[in-house]
Amino acid sequence: MSTVTASPKKTGHPSALAEFWHYFSRNKGAVIGLAIFIVILVVAILAPLFAPHSPSEQNREALLLVPSWMEGGNSSYLLGTDAVGRDILSRLIYGARFSLFIGLVVVTLSVISGVLVGLVAGYFGGRTDIVIMRIMDIILAFPSLLLALVLVAVLGPGLLNAMIAISLVNQPHFVRLTRASVLAEREKEYVVASKVAGAGTMRIMFLTILPNCLGPLIVQATLAFSAAILDAAALGFLGMGAQPPTPEWGTMLAEAREFIQRAPWVVTFPGLAILITVLAINLMGDGLRDALDPKLKRS
Amino acid sequence: MKKFSILLAATALVSVMATAASAKTLVYCSEASPEGFDPGLYTGGQTFDAASRTVYSRLVEFKHGGTEIEPGLAESWTVSEDGKEYTFKLRKGVKFQTTDFFTPTRDLNADDVIFSFERQLKADNPWNKYVEGAAWEYAAGMGFPELIKSVEKVDDLTVKFVLNRPEAPFIANLGMDFASIMSKEYADKLAADGKMAQLNQMPLGTGPFTFVAYQPDAVIRYKAHPDYFGGKQKIDDLVFAITTDAAVRVQKLKAGECHVAPYPNAADVPDLKKDENLTVLEGPGLNVSYLAYNTTQAPFDKAEVRRALNQAVNKQAIVDAVFQGAGQVAKNPIPPTMWSYNDAVQDDTYDPEAAKKALEAAGVKDLKMKIWAMPVSRPYMLNARRAAELMQADLAKVGVTAEIVSYEWAEYLKLSKDKARDGAVILGWTGDNGDPDNFLDTLLGCDAVGGNNRAQWCNEEFNKLVKDAKVTSDQAERTKLYQEAQVIFKREAPWMTINHSVVSIPVSKKVTGFQNDPLGIHRFDGVDIAE
Repeated sequence: MSTVTASPKKTGHPSALAEFWHYFSRNKGAVIGLAIFIVILVVAILAPLFAPHSPSEQNREALLLVPSWMEGGNSSYLLGTDAVGRDILSRLIYGARFSLFIGLVVVTLSVISGVLVGLVAGYFGGRTDIVIMRIMDIILAFPSLLLALVLVAVLGPGLLNAMIAISLVNQPHFVRLTRASVLAEREKEYVVASKVAGAGTMRIMFLTILPNCLGPLIVQATLAFSAAILDAAALGFLGMGAQPPTPEWGTMLAEAREFIQRAPWVVTFPGLAILITVLAINLMGDGLRDALDPKLKRS
Repeated sequence: MKKFSILLAATALVSVMATAASAKTLVYCSEASPEGFDPGLYTGGQTFDAASRTVYSRLVEFKHGGTEIEPGLAESWTVSEDGKEYTFKLRKGVKFQTTDFFTPTRDLNADDVIFSFERQLKADNPWNKYVEGAAWEYAAGMGFPELIKSVEKVDDLTVKFVLNRPEAPFIANLGMDFASIMSKEYADKLAADGKMAQLNQMPLGTGPFTFVAYQPDAVIRYKAHPDYFGGKQKIDDLVFAITTDAAVRVQKLKAGECHVAPYPNAADVPDLKKDENLTVLEGPGLNVSYLAYNTTQAPFDKAEVRRALNQAVNKQAIVDAVFQGAGQVAKNPIPPTMWSYNDAVQDDTYDPEAAKKALEAAGVKDLKMKIWAMPVSRPYMLNARRAAELMQADLAKVGVTAEIVSYEWAEYLKLSKDKARDGAVILGWTGDNGDPDNFLDTLLGCDAVGGNNRAQWCNEEFNKLVKDAKVTSDQAERTKLYQEAQVIFKREAPWMTINHSVVSIPVSKKVTGFQNDPLGIHRFDGVDIAE
C-alpha cells in the first residue's frame, strides 16, 4: 500500500521514510504509543494553554479536594488538589515538561558521549578498547539506580545533577552497542573501499561507519528515554531529584505518599502519568525495532 | 545421655509452665531501631523507649503522663542552703535484673550511681570512651561536666552531688534518660572479661522490664522484672516490633498485630478515631517548631526584618496543611502547657501588606533567602518540606524569593549549627524535663550559639533573665523572669514560632493504663492488657 505512494525521486524504490512507516505501522501497539507520545508532547509544549491553574498556586481554601466527578468535587479542579491546595491536573501537565525534558537531555548526553567513546573503542581497538570497555564494565557492575543515587549524593540534590547522574549511568549501554556495531562494520568492503580511496580516520569513523550503526542506537535511545523518566522519578521520590515546588512526577508521588489511605487520588494520578508515558515510549521503541532491525524485516 | 535427659525434662517443664501461666504479651510497634542500649550515649526517642524507660530507672522519675518529679531510686533528697549540694537517700533493697548473661549478687548502692555519672563526666574514666566516638551528648548539652564538681559516696545508700553553682532545674534533669542508673557490678564484670562494648548491647538495670533479646531492625523482647522495686508489672512479656513505616504501623495496629503504635500519619488519625477497636490518645505535646533565622547575617540581623517576615507567613495554613489541623499556632518559644507560659504576648498577625511595607521601610528589596527543610518527620514538624513550600508561596507574595534546601538528617543537624550558615532553618524541640530552662536557655541562650541555638542569637537582656532564673529556686520568681524573657523574645523575633503539635497515639482498646506522655516518651510500666 505504502509502496504505491513511493517517492517520486527514486522511482521503483519506496522512500526510506515510507518504508519505515510501512514496518512501523504494522505494530498496532507502536502506533498507539506514538499517538500517546505525541499528545503528551503537545500538552507539554503548550502547557500554559492546557493547564487551568498555575502549578505552584496554592489555594488554601481547598486542601486535598477530591476529583471533580466524586462527591464534593469542584469542576475547576478536575483531578482534585494536593496537600497544599495546588491543582493536580495543572501540576501533571507542567510535570510532563520536566519528564520529557529530562528524557531528552539524558538521552542526548548519554548518546553523544556513549557513541563517541564506543566509536573510538571499536575503531581503534587494542589497548584503547580494553581500557574503555573495562571502565564501562565497572559502571555496569553497579545497580544503575544505586549508582545514580551515589552520584547525586556527591553532586548535591537537584534536577540538573540528577540528569547528569542518570546520563552517566546510561552511557555504557550506548558505548557497548556502538562498539559492537563498529566492530562488525569495520571489516566490511565499503569501509575498506573508502580507506583505499584515501579517506581520513575521522571521515571513515563518522561518515562511513557511524550512519550504518544508527538502527540499534535509535531503538536503545527510545528505551533509554523511558528509563531516564523512570529513574528521574525514582530519584525525585527519594528526595534526591527535583526540589520543591517543581511539579516533577516522582516528587509529587513522594510528597503524597502519606495520603495513600486518606486521599488516594493525590498518589494515583502522578503514578498513572508515569506509567502511561513510559509505556507509550516503550511500545514506540518496540515498533522502531521492528522497523529498523534488518533481521526482523520481512520475517 | 543422662545429662541430655535432664535437659529435656527441664525444657519440657519450662514449656509447661509457660503455657500454664498464659503469659500476657504486649506488642509495641516502635518507629525505629534503637541506636544502642546505653541511654547516655544517644539522643533518639526510640533509644530511650527501648533502653532507659524499660530496662533502667533513675534517681527521680517523671510522673507517668506528666512532668512532675517523683522519687525513683532515691527515696528522698535534701538541698543545702546555698543550693550547691544535693544529698540523695537511696531506696533499700533495690534488685538488679537477673538475665542469661549476668546474675547480680548485690543490691543497688551508691557505687552504681557514682559509676553512672562519672562515666559521662570524667574523660579519664575507663568507660568514658568505651564506644567508638562516645560523645555523651545529653550530659554535655545540659552542661553537666562543668556543673557537677563531684559525685560522692556518703555511705552505701547515700550519694551527694556537689555543684559548682546553684542550678534550679537540677532535680528535673536527673529524671532524664541520660541519667539512668547502670549496674557497676555488671560493668566491672564486662571490663574484666574484656567485653566492654556489651554494656551498649545487652543492658541490665533496675527498671520494670528485663531485656531478653534484640534482633536488629526487627524485634526487641523483654519480660517483666520480678523483683522490680515498684512491684512486678501486670504484663509478662513486652515486645517491640520495629516498624519504620507509619502506614504499616497503622495497618498492623488495625489487624491486631500490635497494641500500641506511635506517630501515625496525621491524615490517618480521623480514620483511626472511627475504629471501634482503638482509642486515640491525644495530648498537647511539650514541643515547638520554629524557623530560626541566622541573626548574624544581613539583613536578618535586624529585628524589624525578622518580624516583617514573620508577618508574611500564614501559620494557620501550615497547621492545616501539615498537621491536618491537629496543632496550635505558636507565639512563644515554650508550649502553653508549660509553667511560666506568657499568654499576654501578642503574636505577629498575618498581614502581607504590612509585611511588605515593613520590608520596604527597612530598605530590603528583592530579598533572596534559603529555607532549610528537615528531611524527616518529627512530632513537632511532620513534614518540613510542605511547611517550607507554604512559606515559600507566602514569602513570594511580599517579594521575597525563597529557595528550599535539605540535607541528610545527621548532616542537617550538624550543618545548621554553623554560625556562617546561609538561610533560615526549620527545626523544633520536644521538652526533656518540663522545665522552661530546657527551652529558653538550651535553645536561645548565648552559650548555645554554634550549637542548639540555631538562630545564632545572643541577646544580653534575654540571656541575663534566663541565667538568673536558672540559679533562682523560688518558682514564682522564676516564672516572672521567664515571662519577661518571652516578651523580649517576641520583640527581637530570632525565630518564627510555627506550631505546637498535638501528639496522637492510637492504642488498642484492650490496653489499659497506657498514657500519652507529654515528654514524648512511651512507657509500659503500669500498663495492663485484657485477654
